[in-house]
Amino acid sequence: MAVEMRLPAVHKPISLAASQSNRDDKHLVVPGDVITSDTGFMRGHGTYMDEDRLTASVAGEVERVNKLICVRPLKTRYNGEVGDVVIGRITEVQQKRWKVETNSRLDSVLLLSSVNLPGGELRRRSAQDELAMRDYLQEGDLISAEVQSIFSDGALSLHTRSLKYGKLGQGVLVLVSPSIVKRQKTHFHNLPCGASIILGNNGYVWLYPTPGHQDEEAGGYYTSMEPVSLSDREVISRLRNCLLALAAHKVLLYDTSVLYCYEASLTHQIKDILKPEIMEEIILETRQRLVEHEG
Amino acid sequence: MRDTPLSNCERRFLLKAVEEKKRLDGRQTYDYRNIKITFGTDYGCCIVELGRTRVLCQVSCELVPPKDSRPTEGIMFFNLELSPMASPAFEPNRQSELLVMLNRQLERCLRNSKCIDTESLCVVSGEKVWQIRVDVHVLNHDGNLMDAASIAAISALSHFRRPDVAIQGRDITVFSPEERDPIPLSIYHMPICVSFAFFLQGSYLLVDPCEREERVKDGLLVIAMNKHREICSIQSSGGIMLLKDQVLRCSKIASVKVSEITELINKALENDRKIRKEGGKFGFAESMPKERITALKRDEAPVEMTDVQETANEIVNRTETPTEAVSSPVLVAMGTAQVGEGIVNSWGLDEDEEDEPQTEDTKTGNEVMVISDSEEEEVSLNLSSYLKVKLQNTNILQLIQCYTTKYNLFLKEINKAF
Repeated sequence: MAVEMRLPAVHKPISLAASQSNRDDKHLVVPGDVITSDTGFMRGHGTYMDEDRLTASVAGEVERVNKLICVRPLKTRYNGEVGDVVIGRITEVQQKRWKVETNSRLDSVLLLSSVNLPGGELRRRSAQDELAMRDYLQEGDLISAEVQSIFSDGALSLHTRSLKYGKLGQGVLVLVSPSIVKRQKTHFHNLPCGASIILGNNGYVWLYPTPGHQDEEAGGYYTSMEPVSLSDREVISRLRNCLLALAAHKVLLYDTSVLYCYEASLTHQIKDILKPEIMEEIILETRQRLVEHEG
Repeated sequence: MRDTPLSNCERRFLLKAVEEKKRLDGRQTYDYRNIKITFGTDYGCCIVELGRTRVLCQVSCELVPPKDSRPTEGIMFFNLELSPMASPAFEPNRQSELLVMLNRQLERCLRNSKCIDTESLCVVSGEKVWQIRVDVHVLNHDGNLMDAASIAAISALSHFRRPDVAIQGRDITVFSPEERDPIPLSIYHMPICVSFAFFLQGSYLLVDPCEREERVKDGLLVIAMNKHREICSIQSSGGIMLLKDQVLRCSKIASVKVSEITELINKALENDRKIRKEGGKFGFAESMPKERITALKRDEAPVEMTDVQETANEIVNRTETPTEAVSSPVLVAMGTAQVGEGIVNSWGLDEDEEDEPQTEDTKTGNEVMVISDSEEEEVSLNLSSYLKVKLQNTNILQLIQCYTTKYNLFLKEINKAF
């Protein structure tokens, strides 16, 4: 077993000039900061009244809508919106539904009537289906789903009523903060480097080898157990390390940024990407390319 | 808030590791994690660290009327609390199964075993007795709360001193610690709980499970014992079927562990007593290492180095010998010029040119001289054992010497081990 030794060194933090200008127009607060002493405002989420002064209770950005002031926290549990793509893990199998853990405050709910039955038939769910629920999805399985609606207590109701959603097979799950996943038109991407990615809005990102041909009849429940080739595994490992690097430097995650980061990291070994100095190098290059791409 | 569920991969990995008799932190099947016991400035306050599990115990006393059924005995009251500080899965004021189990086991271990002499706690029979209250708070949950709680409780009870009392007729005078020295409790023996986690339907067991291992366990066996090999209580939960010889084997292991732990507790108590007598500083603040960066501190972990020598030799043999470099090439850096017929510029050289200490197998020496007029000499170095680089700047030289001596020591240690 080879042992690698590194001695600590001082490295200076890298920050691009472009990011400085963004910081000026945002009103960032920490818990305890006074937002305003004006009593004419209504207080929203993330604030409290401390002797007539509106104070922030979470660390985040101040948002003002007419007379309502609220603070949107930077690091928070996932707050679902209708139409979001999420990845979750089944925690319980109940009578006519599954409980799914999606990094939100409450477990999300996947009703039996909101899933596609294997075989893709459209029929009324019978008692037979209820008893066979465990055959479709068990505790510990990963699924990709879409948010259908939100219950009054804030729990999300999910559905997998499309062939692109369903049980996830072989791949790698990466957990990042929900606030750095960019909201886009589609969250399913087949990256040109040879792997596919699902960027869940709840901060769960799923990397998997691009499937050879789409299995239409399976309806999203067929998980292939064929061994994945070494080259595919290497691509996925590299992507996973790139995602961790992007998350550590708070770069918004979307298909372009992930791709640029992957290309910037090709010069290094996969395991070196996690070292702080190399991470900074790669992120610097990625940020520069992203700025050029926009500008 | 519920704990994030364990993924199937992790569960399979942990069970597979248990089957191969390997543990996550490199321990053996019957090994305990490092136990650290520290006492606070007050008598009866103790923190126990079992690996990363931390438990705080505070013992206090109060004069109360005794129970009707036992007018001559003092009262022992136990309370264990799981604070949300310990784990996000613990909610305040939530009566969970784990809490009930821990409380019951602690009571059974300390009260039913009669380790404290309750008769000595009686002040006036039928009227006033001492009520000893033991409060255990879990500060961090990394598995095996039961053992840590029992060690903390018995250490705190042994450390505790109650105020001295004088009785004159019907008058009771309670002396403050300044007036008269407080008296320790009379403890007959020290019962300590040892936990065994069972996996895969009872075929494999682990002592002192950490939090991950606890999540995939099938059942738990807790044996409370003292160092005189007397079993104070046995509890089996999880519904697994245990064979008789399994239980006997566990009790034998428990007796060994309990004697070690009891010695540890006695040593800690002795240290604390000595420091207090000598008038030195004691308390929690003193037990923490000062002026040292502990952010990246890791405990010593055993590293498997069985085939390092062979691997190292292999790598050395496999590498090709580097090509013979030209002796003393002369590189001209930017911004310099030379006048004359190539006489070497001696301005950049320092008076003392020391040689780098020889590494194990050095081949022909190589001198690379960079001519430049910049103050900072930028030297790129190759620390392989085949090149010897001659440096011109003594500061960098000292740094290199420091690195190479470290490297040499490392190599020597490997050689020494075989």
